[in-house]
Amino acid sequence: MLRLNTKEIEAVGKTTRSDQVIARISTNPNLPAAVRSSHIFLAKKSDELPGGFSYVFCLEDSLKNEDIKASDVSDVYQIPQYLNFVGDGDIVRFNPLKGMLNVLYRKSSAFNALLVTERCNNFCLMCSQPPKDIDDSYIVQDLLKAIPLMSRSSPEICITGGEPTLLGDDLLRLLKALKGNLPSTAVHVLSNGRRFSDPEFTAKMATINHHDLMYGIPVYSDVSNIHDYVVQADGAFDETIRGILNLKQNGQRVEIRVVLHKQTYKRLPQLAMFLARNLLFVDHVALMGLENMGFTKFNMDDLWIDPYDYQKELRDAVEILHRYRMNVSIYNLQLCLLDDWLKPFARKSDLPQFLRTVN
Amino acid sequence: MKANELQFESSSECQLSFDKNVYSLAAIKKAAYKFAAEFATNISDKEKIEVKITFNSDIKKEEYPKIVQGFQHEVLDQDLREQIAKETGPIRNVILAEAFSKTALLTEE
Amino acid sequence: MLSPPKGKFRSLDTFNESLAVGYKLLPFRFIRLDSNRYVLTNEVGEFIVVDDNTLRELVSKVLQPNSDIYNDLKAKHFLFDDDSNVALDLLSLKVRSKYEQLSQFTGLHLFVVTLRCDHSCPYCQVSRQSDDRLAFDMSKETAAKGLELTFKSPSPNIKIEFQGGEPLLNFELIKWIVIEAERMNEVHKRDLQFVITTNLSQINDEILEFARQHGILFSTSLDGPEYIHKANRPRPGDDSYTRTISGINRIRESIGPDSVSALMTTTEKSLGSVKEIIDEYVQQGFHHIFLRPLSPYGFAIKTRWYERYDVDRWLDFYFEGLDYILKLNKDGLPFVEIYASIILNKMFSPFGTTYVDLMSPAGHGIAVIAFNYDGEVYASDESRMLAEMGDKTFRLGNIHKNTYEEMMLSDTLLDALEQSITESVPSCNDCAFQPYCGSDPTFHYATQKDVVGHKAFSAFCRRNMAIMRRLVTLLTDDADARRILMSWVRI
Repeated sequence: MLRLNTKEIEAVGKTTRSDQVIARISTNPNLPAAVRSSHIFLAKKSDELPGGFSYVFCLEDSLKNEDIKASDVSDVYQIPQYLNFVGDGDIVRFNPLKGMLNVLYRKSSAFNALLVTERCNNFCLMCSQPPKDIDDSYIVQDLLKAIPLMSRSSPEICITGGEPTLLGDDLLRLLKALKGNLPSTAVHVLSNGRRFSDPEFTAKMATINHHDLMYGIPVYSDVSNIHDYVVQADGAFDETIRGILNLKQNGQRVEIRVVLHKQTYKRLPQLAMFLARNLLFVDHVALMGLENMGFTKFNMDDLWIDPYDYQKELRDAVEILHRYRMNVSIYNLQLCLLDDWLKPFARKSDLPQFLRTVN
Repeated sequence: MKANELQFESSSECQLSFDKNVYSLAAIKKAAYKFAAEFATNISDKEKIEVKITFNSDIKKEEYPKIVQGFQHEVLDQDLREQIAKETGPIRNVILAEAFSKTALLTEE
Repeated sequence: MLSPPKGKFRSLDTFNESLAVGYKLLPFRFIRLDSNRYVLTNEVGEFIVVDDNTLRELVSKVLQPNSDIYNDLKAKHFLFDDDSNVALDLLSLKVRSKYEQLSQFTGLHLFVVTLRCDHSCPYCQVSRQSDDRLAFDMSKETAAKGLELTFKSPSPNIKIEFQGGEPLLNFELIKWIVIEAERMNEVHKRDLQFVITTNLSQINDEILEFARQHGILFSTSLDGPEYIHKANRPRPGDDSYTRTISGINRIRESIGPDSVSALMTTTEKSLGSVKEIIDEYVQQGFHHIFLRPLSPYGFAIKTRWYERYDVDRWLDFYFEGLDYILKLNKDGLPFVEIYASIILNKMFSPFGTTYVDLMSPAGHGIAVIAFNYDGEVYASDESRMLAEMGDKTFRLGNIHKNTYEEMMLSDTLLDALEQSITESVPSCNDCAFQPYCGSDPTFHYATQKDVVGHKAFSAFCRRNMAIMRRLVTLLTDDADARRILMSWVRI
């Protein structure tokens, strides 16, 4: 797993500033001077260090400290070797005072996940990003700075959290920024869908008119109280279903997501039938193997089941969805586990493995 | 639930009586309607509801008891249907009204 | 990382507390499935099979919350509780989907281009004339009017089906209609489909080439192996079977394997030979068969075909056929029984059907319309056959004398549709199979002189109830059969 955040960054030589920046990494020493201030130069070998960048990073052991100090360049920081994956075009938040570096975006990645808040109004048993009740509104501001620096060639951006719809209008601002700056990039918003039970909010969000936007919304059971139990929130099922209906009424694309574990596998075929009879018009169904992250560890007794033991239910469910011509994909399950008939539905993992909290 | 009293009178006839406190006239009539191909009925509303059954000529005598049993089951089923209809009638109207209303429940894709 | 939040997580029990308050019923119908079970259907035809006790417990409100059967009934919208009421929104949506296609209106348009025929099948519903009775051909003027009325329908899918007699005996008019319809469609831009129902005796290269160019499909009769087919469908020269088979092969070779389909008609000769009939279809390379009952129209009544067997004997024939077909599937040959697949579609699809005989309101006029050779307009093919027997009850008007509005809004049509709608007639309105069935006013009129009919005496009702019971039983009790039957559903 790649580590994205570190506190182990040290200045080498003279420093003239210590403000936090959102900046794009550049490995191009000839980058035109006019744009250097929004970039951080990453030095990987003993080149002449260029000036004019907001900050300069050197991978440890790439340049000798004496050479750095001897050069004219100030605000040079040494970053640990394990961050050597950071590359040209990546976008980072760098806080020199706290010695903190967060990689917000990787140009080389097929999909980047932007964590927009850690707050959530669900509390899922298997949450991979356990919620925190804090004011993290600074994240949106940082992302609004980062988005214009992102590459237009990025195929997909994922908006996740916590619960992105808790941002309210700021979510729309983020989507607008993505639409304007990345006009050919697909956007996948992971949400519990509950806020969309408000028709006005949904209508407002629908004004985005994005060229390729899809909401990924979990439904864990065909039975309301079982779903509510999995997400640990009374009334969640009704709000989520109404949210899905409102989104479709407003012409938005919706994907239903189901995490496969002990509480969801038994009624998986019944859930498939429920989706087929009631939500046939959704755009995609994603069935996902359980990841041992976040809350999962604490609820293992209630969650763990060997995927081998639910292959029958999985096959029955996919057969039903396929019969109804719904688009189905299976994620995060080893191919060798799957029945031959199921193999064509398996896709590579859709979320990057290195999504992590901020501090 | 009080038992019915089964009495066979002439060779193709049979008399049933139903406790009015348990069975509605409507339920009995509906059940009788469904069995029109098996027998004709003459229903009178007295102290009990009296149903005189006259089997159609093409029905074999050995089938009579089974048919009568079927009729009694159907009366109970009609009674159950009345219960369901009574409870679900209003909500059915709500559902249908919403279904046929002018509001767009879903946009066209 | 957060400290372990255990103790913060609530158990499943705490989410079930709202269920203890009790539940309410959603609208549903039920009917006895067998000696100890009922089948329940909800407002849109989703079904569930329960035993006698469970039904009574359900209605008496003593069903155990959170049991498997409770959860099934809740998820399938037979009951709802304090925990969730989104069922109401979902049901409304589903009801709307089921009825939505009514607004598409008439899709199937029958053009009876001639009554002339070279066969003399005893069960034929229309009069048979010999070659030289040109008075029985449709005129170009009538055809033109027919096309005008056809494109008045708002349906995005228009199917023009050529009927007769033997339609290919008036091939010139068929050519004209196809070309004219395509020309008109450049403006209307519908999905336009053509079908010729034919005995194939007149097939030649010119017809095949024209059909190939315009994507015309053929529908023919194949009643079974040669001895059955010939007996059912006499022709001078006694070669109806060989002509049919060679016609099928010629079409497949020159146009494509899926360009020709076959229908069979059940007669006295067919009963007892269902396996041979199905085998014939398999041998001739077909992937489905429609095991049809005999209809009580036309020559079938005059020659007493209809009286010769009753519904139960036909049901034996049908079930033997269905079992045989299921066995073929289990042995590795995909093969579909069409009538079952239509009912299965009504059971599992969110949408309605356009199969006329199983529609309520009936498909007469609103799904199908027939333009007869003489300009008379009928609400369905059966209505036309009834007219040939002398009864013009379902005649909507004349193509040259009445406007589209006059015919489609006539009392003739609307009364028949309204009065026979199964949602509100006795027996049907509380039948669990109502979502899967239809009203068929012409059948009931032909047999009982009443568009509604007393369903206890209705062969249509008896037949459908038996088939639906059998399908529900198979789907519930036989996992292999269920898999096969589900594969016949086309969403």
